[in-house]
Amino acid sequence: MIRFLHTSDWQLGMTRHFLSEGAQDRYSQARFDAIRAMGRIARDEKCQFMLVCGDVFESNQVDRKTVARALEALKDVPIPVFLLPGNHDPLNAASVYRSSTFNERKPDQVQVIETSAPIKIADGVEMVGSPWMSKRPVTNPITDAIKALVPAKGTIRICMGHGAVDTLTPDRHAAGTIAVATLDRAIGEGKVHFVALGDRHSLTKVGVGDRIWYSGTPESTDFGEVQSGYAQIVEVGEDRITTKPVQIGQWRFIERARVDLNAADDVEALRKSLEEIDNKDRTVIRLNLVGSLSLTLSGALQNHLTAAQDVFGAFDVRDEELLLVPDDTDFTNLGFSGFADATVQRLRNKIVDGGIAGTEAREALMLLLRLAREAV
Amino acid sequence: MKFIRLRVANYRGITAAEVKFGPDGITLIQGPNEAGKTSLREAIGLLFEYLDNSRHRNVEAVKPVHRDEGPEIELQAESGPYAFTYFKRFLKRPETTLIITKPNPENHTGRKAHERADAILRETLDVDLWKALTIQQGDAIHQPDLARQTSLSAALDQAAGGRPTDPAEVGLFDKVRTEYLRYYTERGAERKELTDARTALTRSEEEASNIEQAIRSLDDDTERTASLQEELAQLKEQDDRLTQEVTAYTTSLAEIRDLEGALSTSRLKLQSAQQSEEAAHRDRDFRQALITRVAEADQEYKKINAESAMSVPVLEQAQRELKKTQVTFSQADEVRKLADKNAELRRADFDYYQNKLQLEQLGERKSRIDEARKNAAQAEKLLRCNKVTARVLESIEAAEKELLAAKAKLETGAPQVRLESLAECFMIIDGKDTTLSKGSERSLTVTSNLRLSIPKKLNIDVIAGASFEKLEKRVVDCQGELDCLCENASVVGPSEARQAYETRNEASRVAAAKTQIEKENLRDLTYEKLAEMLMGLEQTVPAYVGNRAKHPAICPDLESAEKEWKSSELTHRQAAHACELAHQTLDVARGVWNDHNTKHHQSRASLDLSSKHLIQARADLKRARENISDDGLEKALAQAVQVVASENAGVQCAETALRTKNPERVKALSETAKGSLQTTHNRRDAAQTELTVVQTRLKIHGEEGLYEKLHAAQTACERLMTDSASLHRRASSAKCLFETMREERVKVRRAYVAPLKEKIEQLGRLVFDDSFQVDISEELRITSRTLQNITVLFDSLSGGTREQLSLIFRSACSMIVSQNGGMPLILDDALGYTDHNRLRLMGAVLAKAAKECQIVIFTCVPDRYGNIGEATCISLR
Repeated sequence: MIRFLHTSDWQLGMTRHFLSEGAQDRYSQARFDAIRAMGRIARDEKCQFMLVCGDVFESNQVDRKTVARALEALKDVPIPVFLLPGNHDPLNAASVYRSSTFNERKPDQVQVIETSAPIKIADGVEMVGSPWMSKRPVTNPITDAIKALVPAKGTIRICMGHGAVDTLTPDRHAAGTIAVATLDRAIGEGKVHFVALGDRHSLTKVGVGDRIWYSGTPESTDFGEVQSGYAQIVEVGEDRITTKPVQIGQWRFIERARVDLNAADDVEALRKSLEEIDNKDRTVIRLNLVGSLSLTLSGALQNHLTAAQDVFGAFDVRDEELLLVPDDTDFTNLGFSGFADATVQRLRNKIVDGGIAGTEAREALMLLLRLAREAV
Repeated sequence: MKFIRLRVANYRGITAAEVKFGPDGITLIQGPNEAGKTSLREAIGLLFEYLDNSRHRNVEAVKPVHRDEGPEIELQAESGPYAFTYFKRFLKRPETTLIITKPNPENHTGRKAHERADAILRETLDVDLWKALTIQQGDAIHQPDLARQTSLSAALDQAAGGRPTDPAEVGLFDKVRTEYLRYYTERGAERKELTDARTALTRSEEEASNIEQAIRSLDDDTERTASLQEELAQLKEQDDRLTQEVTAYTTSLAEIRDLEGALSTSRLKLQSAQQSEEAAHRDRDFRQALITRVAEADQEYKKINAESAMSVPVLEQAQRELKKTQVTFSQADEVRKLADKNAELRRADFDYYQNKLQLEQLGERKSRIDEARKNAAQAEKLLRCNKVTARVLESIEAAEKELLAAKAKLETGAPQVRLESLAECFMIIDGKDTTLSKGSERSLTVTSNLRLSIPKKLNIDVIAGASFEKLEKRVVDCQGELDCLCENASVVGPSEARQAYETRNEASRVAAAKTQIEKENLRDLTYEKLAEMLMGLEQTVPAYVGNRAKHPAICPDLESAEKEWKSSELTHRQAAHACELAHQTLDVARGVWNDHNTKHHQSRASLDLSSKHLIQARADLKRARENISDDGLEKALAQAVQVVASENAGVQCAETALRTKNPERVKALSETAKGSLQTTHNRRDAAQTELTVVQTRLKIHGEEGLYEKLHAAQTACERLMTDSASLHRRASSAKCLFETMREERVKVRRAYVAPLKEKIEQLGRLVFDDSFQVDISEELRITSRTLQNITVLFDSLSGGTREQLSLIFRSACSMIVSQNGGMPLILDDALGYTDHNRLRLMGAVLAKAAKECQIVIFTCVPDRYGNIGEATCISLR
């Protein structure tokens, strides 16, 4: 039996446009912190090595600082670490793994998988990597790597791979897709005992048995990731296998696909629900607002959203389907009459007409409301 | 609308006060200052404007002094069909009640009461105008600074924006305009902030695009590296393959070279055998040629010998003929020489006479020239001494004329002394003893002074006066000048000068004649040439006769000499011709002889040569046969032919062996392989160089962190895009709002202009006359007044007139607020600038206005309103 930590898709150097400057720094730091956290867990869990199955870096063109900080974090990992070049950081001529910064600072226990030749990790344990040598290979490197193998008798053989599998991608025939059947067959023939995969950011089991896994990214990267922010501890033998997911990530991506807003109560409910979210500074929120609000309620909503924007890691509001419909109450107490009242009526009519002019009129009314209220 | 009763309590300084307005027309409320007039007016505005729970500062301002109570306002009024009592308590225990008695009883409280009251106002009044007038009434109309008065336009702005009671605040329209002006200029152009945002976005997009381009280049380099590495591997394979090919071809070529060597040797042998064969052929042919040459030389010798024998008699005949013609020529030549000599002598004779004549002529010409030159030299000498030129003579003659004139004047102008002797008398005149006989007379001219002296008796000095002295001085001066001129001309006097002048003229003429004489006698010669010719002739001519042969005798003169010379010339020409003919005959004879002689000698030489050739040929043939016989030569030739055939077979064998190897193909393929190998090397070097360049580039740019830079740039770009979009959205909304509101505002203004103008003119004609007209601007201000067709700008009118027009304007406004009953016009001590007469007329205006709207006048000077007609008077204490 051999015990190791399986992780992938660190995507170091990843930036998110929607993050503010401070949030981006926290977000980047969280990914370096995740390396150290996994190092600690691997040590505590008595793992013999760590496999990072591709996309360690978001790109081959990441900044020197990012590389340096990554290697600085890797220094704190007390066990051998195998880094597999993936589609984001292929081992091509511009590879980050061939940069002077990487080679000058690489800790001794860190090894980059450069070929698919089997590597002996320990007595009776062999590891076969399948590094990406370019961004667009004709076939996934793991296919050729497995094809070259013969059944491993008396040796536990672990295979590292990277890329989408045909059972989970809509584009099954795309170049570089891994056929799950091939992996299952290799396991069945005793060529391989565990396939550690990277590319998919959610922790996912693949194939018929329990021996093919995506570890997912240790720190969430986007909305729609089901179980991201994990690594897994794998214990594998010829006859037996156990896997244990371990939560690593600190960031969350929360998307509310539909928030209905039609009345003051809805606005209040949204405010409360935002308020209840903890760990806000490491939470990215996306709200899709639907419904129609009066200008007054819209003003209130804007106040809540502005307040939320200040505290969340990122706050993405999509309000294309939220209509602002001025009603009589919006202008009550403002005492508008004469041409001011006529202005309001004309702008409201324009809103009804819709189009760009309608949008402009709506904003003009909001402005009028603000100016009138400033005056009170 | 009509106020019936107003009550306030706990209002500013007023504990409680109530005013009951007159049922119709004018209510005059009189009271001293601080009696609360202004508070009452203000209270009506607060009542309708603010909710009872309002904490607006205008409401706070009316909080009672020193009492913890809420200010109360109650108004009983009628408006349109409605009659109601409206009550509000603010701040403390707020309360609102509205009790409507007409047309149907209604009771309302709280917010509903406020809204109902508002609805009644909207139903029965032009609320905008009503609010504006309420605002406008905040300023006392009779303040001297009429410009500070809130204009109806501004009041309408504030009323429209829901700000009816505080004219000092900025109205909504101004806020909207200020917001608009944040983004646009007055003329509607975008401000810098908008353009800057756009520029910043463009720059940011460019930056992101540049980084993208750099990444694309990096990707290209990466792909290029892979393809170059692949190409290098292929080239390595190709290199190995071609190297093997080249080695194989090198071996084949070595074998071919060996075969070629063998072939070459065989060919050399064949060539040698062929040369031997050719030599044998040549030897045999040479022997044949020797035999032939001996036979030909023999035949040639015989032929030339025969020809030589025949040429001797011909040559002898020619020699005889030559001698004969030589004698004839000698005789003719002798005759020619004699004729020639005679002609030469006769020619010399003729020349002698010619020269003799020329000697005489030239002698004469030289004499004439010498004479002329001598005369000219003398004349020039004279000219050098003689200074009397025409001008000098003219000057002397002019001076002489002047002197004669001066003397004449002296003669005529000098005093005269006439002496008449009565007896014989001795006297001394100017020192000269003179005796005058009795009866004689004598006149003396006194030129300067004259002394008459009768010895021992009398001395008479006659002295000429001043004018005489001048005349005399003039004579002396003229004489001096004449003398000076004569002296300069080296003559004694004018007569000699004239003579000298004549002499000079003659000398000039002689000098001038010299040139003419020289020209005539020298003709085309110089004097020296003439002299030289003369000297030559003088030597030759006299010597000729002495030197000449005696015979024949010389002719006596030039003419006969010429005749003799021409005759001898003719004789000479005839002799020369005869001689020439004899010479030609001699030449022909000599030519014939020369030809025959030459042929004869040639024949002799050919015969000798032919003899030598024959001997030489016979010797050569003999020597050759001694060396090798004719048969021996034939045998050697047959043997050489056999050797050539044998060597030729060897060569053909070697050629066949070489052809089997196909050397051309092997060489071509070998060269191709070598060329391909070189090309492969070149391609490999080029690929290697490019790979190094690309890898260097990748090393340099690969670690620049372009990915993060790109994302940073894109993020910045997105933010700028969002900011810019937001800014432009705000700008558009501000523009949309401002433009819409401005259009609506203009519409409202225009709607008021016509009715106001009509009403103002209706009231104004009571004060002024029927020609009264006003202009109302869209800003709802009276801009000018026209009276009797004279238009005066409002600001140029007197203070009193402006006050009256303002009051008329407000009255008109109050009248048009409502179709039915207008609204109460509240005047606070107006018409302070109006004179007594106008006060009376303004009273009529107020009375007429009061028929359409209620008028409430607050005043502390009730006398000012003595002419307002029927009014309800209330005294406020």
